[in-house]
Amino acid sequence: MANKNDILAVLQVLKKYNLKGTENLLRQEANLTDIPENFTHDASDSVLQAYQSEGDPNSYESCYIELRKFVDSALDIYKYELSMILYPVFVHMYIELVYNNHEEQAKALMEKFGEEQEYYYQDDLKRLAMITKRDQMSGNDLTDTFKSNEFIIRISRDTLSLLKRHLQEKKASVVMNIINEHLYFDLYEGMARNKKQCDATAGALLGEARRQDNKVKVYYGLLKEPDYQQMTTTQAPPPEEDDDEVQDGDKPKKKKQKKDPLFSKKSKTDPNAPASDRIPLPQLRDNDKSEKIKALREAQKRVNLGPDSLPSVCYYTLLNSLYSVTCAEISEDSSLVAIGFSDATIKIWPLTPAKLRELKSAEQLKDIDRDVDDVLVRMMDDRKAETSRIFTGHSGPVYRCSFTFDRSLLLSCSEDSTIRLWSLQTWTCLVVYKGHLNPVWDVRFSPHGHYFVSCSHDKTARVWATDSHQPLRIFTGHLSDVDCCVFHPNSNYVATGSSDRTVRLWDVLSGNHVRLMTGHKASIFSLAFSMCGRYLASGGSDKVINLWDLAHGHLVATLEGHTSTIHTLCFSRDGTILATGALDCNLKLWDFSKLCEDLSGENVNVSHNPDVRSGENYLLRTFPTKQSPFIALHFTRRNLLYGVGMFESS
Amino acid sequence: MEDKIKNPEINSQHFGTNLSLESIKIIAESIGIGNLSDSAAKELSDDISYKLKQIVQDAQKFMNHAKRTRLSIADVDHSLKIRNIEPQYGFICKEFIPFRFASGGGRELYFQEEKEVDLNDVMTSTAPKAPLEVTLRAHWLCVDGIQPTIPENPPPLSKDAQIQDSVNPIKKIEKADLKDTSGKPAIKAHKLKTHETVHIKQLAQHELSVEQQFYYKEITEACVGADEARRAEALQSLCCDPGIHEMLPRMCTFIAEGVKINVVQNNLAILIYLMRMVRALLDNPALFLEKYLHELIPSVSTCIVSKQLCQRPEVDNHWALRDFAAKLMAQICKNFNTSTNNLQTRVTRLFSTALQNDKVPLSSLYGAIEGLSELGHEVIKVFIIPRLKFISERVCNMQATDISNTERNAAGHIRALLAKVCAPVLKTMRPSPDIIEDYKRDFGFLGPALHQSVMKARQTPSTTPTASTASSISVPSVTPRITSTPIQRQISQSQPSQKFFVTKAANSPSTSSGNIVKIQQNNPQKIFIQAPKTVFVAANTQEHELEIDDLSHLE
Repeated sequence: MANKNDILAVLQVLKKYNLKGTENLLRQEANLTDIPENFTHDASDSVLQAYQSEGDPNSYESCYIELRKFVDSALDIYKYELSMILYPVFVHMYIELVYNNHEEQAKALMEKFGEEQEYYYQDDLKRLAMITKRDQMSGNDLTDTFKSNEFIIRISRDTLSLLKRHLQEKKASVVMNIINEHLYFDLYEGMARNKKQCDATAGALLGEARRQDNKVKVYYGLLKEPDYQQMTTTQAPPPEEDDDEVQDGDKPKKKKQKKDPLFSKKSKTDPNAPASDRIPLPQLRDNDKSEKIKALREAQKRVNLGPDSLPSVCYYTLLNSLYSVTCAEISEDSSLVAIGFSDATIKIWPLTPAKLRELKSAEQLKDIDRDVDDVLVRMMDDRKAETSRIFTGHSGPVYRCSFTFDRSLLLSCSEDSTIRLWSLQTWTCLVVYKGHLNPVWDVRFSPHGHYFVSCSHDKTARVWATDSHQPLRIFTGHLSDVDCCVFHPNSNYVATGSSDRTVRLWDVLSGNHVRLMTGHKASIFSLAFSMCGRYLASGGSDKVINLWDLAHGHLVATLEGHTSTIHTLCFSRDGTILATGALDCNLKLWDFSKLCEDLSGENVNVSHNPDVRSGENYLLRTFPTKQSPFIALHFTRRNLLYGVGMFESS
Repeated sequence: MEDKIKNPEINSQHFGTNLSLESIKIIAESIGIGNLSDSAAKELSDDISYKLKQIVQDAQKFMNHAKRTRLSIADVDHSLKIRNIEPQYGFICKEFIPFRFASGGGRELYFQEEKEVDLNDVMTSTAPKAPLEVTLRAHWLCVDGIQPTIPENPPPLSKDAQIQDSVNPIKKIEKADLKDTSGKPAIKAHKLKTHETVHIKQLAQHELSVEQQFYYKEITEACVGADEARRAEALQSLCCDPGIHEMLPRMCTFIAEGVKINVVQNNLAILIYLMRMVRALLDNPALFLEKYLHELIPSVSTCIVSKQLCQRPEVDNHWALRDFAAKLMAQICKNFNTSTNNLQTRVTRLFSTALQNDKVPLSSLYGAIEGLSELGHEVIKVFIIPRLKFISERVCNMQATDISNTERNAAGHIRALLAKVCAPVLKTMRPSPDIIEDYKRDFGFLGPALHQSVMKARQTPSTTPTASTASSISVPSVTPRITSTPIQRQISQSQPSQKFFVTKAANSPSTSSGNIVKIQQNNPQKIFIQAPKTVFVAANTQEHELEIDDLSHLE
């Protein structure tokens, strides 16, 4: 039957575009010649038809009460799992009533039972309550989502059989229909979950993740770092070596051999790491190599953090910026900061005394000897150095910026639904990437450069390469805005957080989603991978930070404490501390190493949900600012923490 | 919007709210559609409400991504844009909510005020100031896990917390193990709690770091030292530094001790310096001094009403100190008067008793009058004006030839002061034709002087709005010291028979602690029989209240 409907839909499309020949062929092939020529079959109606029901509109209320009574009277061990079905049944009852033009009954149902649904569903219910007419349903996001997807509930075998028995006994056709049509039970063996366990993963727009959603293996390990020492000895010495003023060619080599452990410490292969050529990565240029070496050198001077040695925090306050700043971004080496404004400009400041220099003009560049060691320095024009620069080009607020590792390029995304690539050498716009249909909320470079990911109001996230004007991958699956995205440190995966209150992990190679993680109770606005690559932290307007184990997609900890939307998360460079900043003007430091220790002892697998840890034990310290909400956090290579915020004078 | 997020439970009215039919009809009328039928209006209101809600919900997304908590007009524009609707370009509103409310005939109406704008005015007016450029400013939010107390950082203990602390001491016990604001980990308290079943109140530990001790020493030395520049710096630090909360008890004790000793030694300079310290502490926006008033009020009131404050009363200007301290007292009353501590009532009573007593020395009388006059017009009206005749007599007596120069000088000061502070009040109290005989009859010796100043006050056009009728309470616009009218009423209906303090015997657990200062009446030189040895004393306000009481009977 469904098959027939599909063909009917195709026929309609063919008819619409007046493709008579194909239409006739298809009719013959499908034996559908008996269908009248002018069948009116509205596409949106066909999906909604499931809601066609002859049930008595007044019986819905008693049906719901009966179901609730059954849940309440169930044994405590089953009670909480059973109570999970109340919300989806309620929602679909409402939609059914509205679809069948029983406005009064629908309103009464919403007024009576809307408030008793879980608090995290209230926002959705408010949106649902807006819809009181059948014609409002066509084109509405929320009803489209509910009607075209099944609501997923994880349930133990015992609980499900209990429910089925009840439904058969009562012969409650209304509830039975809804459960059959719109609910999907993800069955598992074992004990039914308790309230806390149920609540931990509930809250997403369409229930929980299925087990099979998280079955694919994820290579969360880090890539083997190339041997920079090899490269530097065989090729030209990096600029730092010049500072040593060693004229003799042999001496630096000997020196470097002693430093061996530093450069080759990641020589062991991680079983969880992807093959280094799984995703084609860009060739490292000389500039990149010297930058990497510089980073490693600095990392050596890094302060090791812990509960007893907390980081120092340098806070950058944006003055005179009330409600005009939309984002801030600090470059990997902590030398530049980019601020995006709501008036569509981007401003770059150096955080070091060095000024922002510009590339010389083509005529001048011609005169430079290309074989000189400091050719890169000579290319820059000192006379055109400035203490800040402004990029103009977007036509709407700039929602996020991202620097490349070598600070030569900057990406920005905006409300005007474009992404722009800017050069930090010529200080001009290089490329405008058009593809998203709606405002772009977030854009992030891959840690290896070249690739970047963006996400938008159009419910997609896209992976791009800087040299192509079209996206390489489009990730669809989120049911609402994709609010934030980030590349995995090994560049093989992308994590996205959405207003449908799920976090997803996508494989860049295949474009499939490999992890679906539920548990957030509101939109997600910030994501960060741990330094080891195994854990993902996410925070958003539900004021909590959730930590996910990517190995199985489990929620492992929920850190509570903030009192407003969390817009920025950052792991320290040694991976011991998680810093979070929120609009409540508080910076909180969490002991991530302790959490990792606690987790390592646990035996987890796909089917067994570990206990979700709460945050109190891991909170190290809270630092309030003076009316300056946090919009960015950044750990320098030496583990100094930078924060950026705007001053909201009262 | 925030409410919605914070209280998801309170949303019954959010389900199915629609624009009223009347609104729709009014809007229809405004665009020339006179007779819109009910059903059409209903249809329209349903549709418009639905669309408006959708637009606002999308606008919320733009607000979130701009990292704001307040919806702006631009957000609504953007949300219209993604629905392919032309945004409302140029809709700029200076106020947060542009609607005005009107009601009448049982109807409530919100409307938008549209003023006619004269383009010429707009053209000729000077352009508004360009907004300041966004600048970046760095400071240390924390150094190795400890938040430095610099002006850029919030005070270690917020003022709200300080107020809570002094108003509601139970909070402290409840939150004993949750303290995190001071920047020191609170692990100890946590551990203790797990082992002990009986909650024993820990001894209050109050340790100052070496730096704080050094700071305390430097500040106190600078404040009372000879170097005026250094003192200015120190006072500046006291008045701006957010981090001196922990040293506050010591500072207050320092001031209290200093006053006690220097009032005996008649060291006017030091007393002035100490009062300036009080002023600086009062001005510090990060401090809440309520817990330390038991030390500050006696000190300040001593500087107002003490019999002698300087070595040579005939030459030295101790009057300035009294004036200054009186201002401080008024400020204290204004800041910390609550219905539970009745501060202003008690201070007023303290001063007014001095006016009842004819044995009070003239210098103290001056202080009392000054102290009262700083508290506002209503206080002057109720407490000073009825006593004018009595004061007149005392001042008149001082005109005799056998009176010392000092006394005569004091009488002159009182006369000038009364003329100054009473004139504005008398002006409103008395009907317009001022007859000098009436004044003489009503106020005795001071009559002519008062008459003169009232006449002067009437001639100068007052810049402050004064009430024209004598019956209405004048607005204390010059020195608005009185905080609320209910308190005034309390004063004006003052029941002198009512006992002022809770008797000491009722609740004074630490009388034996050796830090009570006994004040011998009629002998200010012997104020300090027993100076307290402990620097940090547990606050027991009641004992010190007695001090205030006694101070008023000093002589």
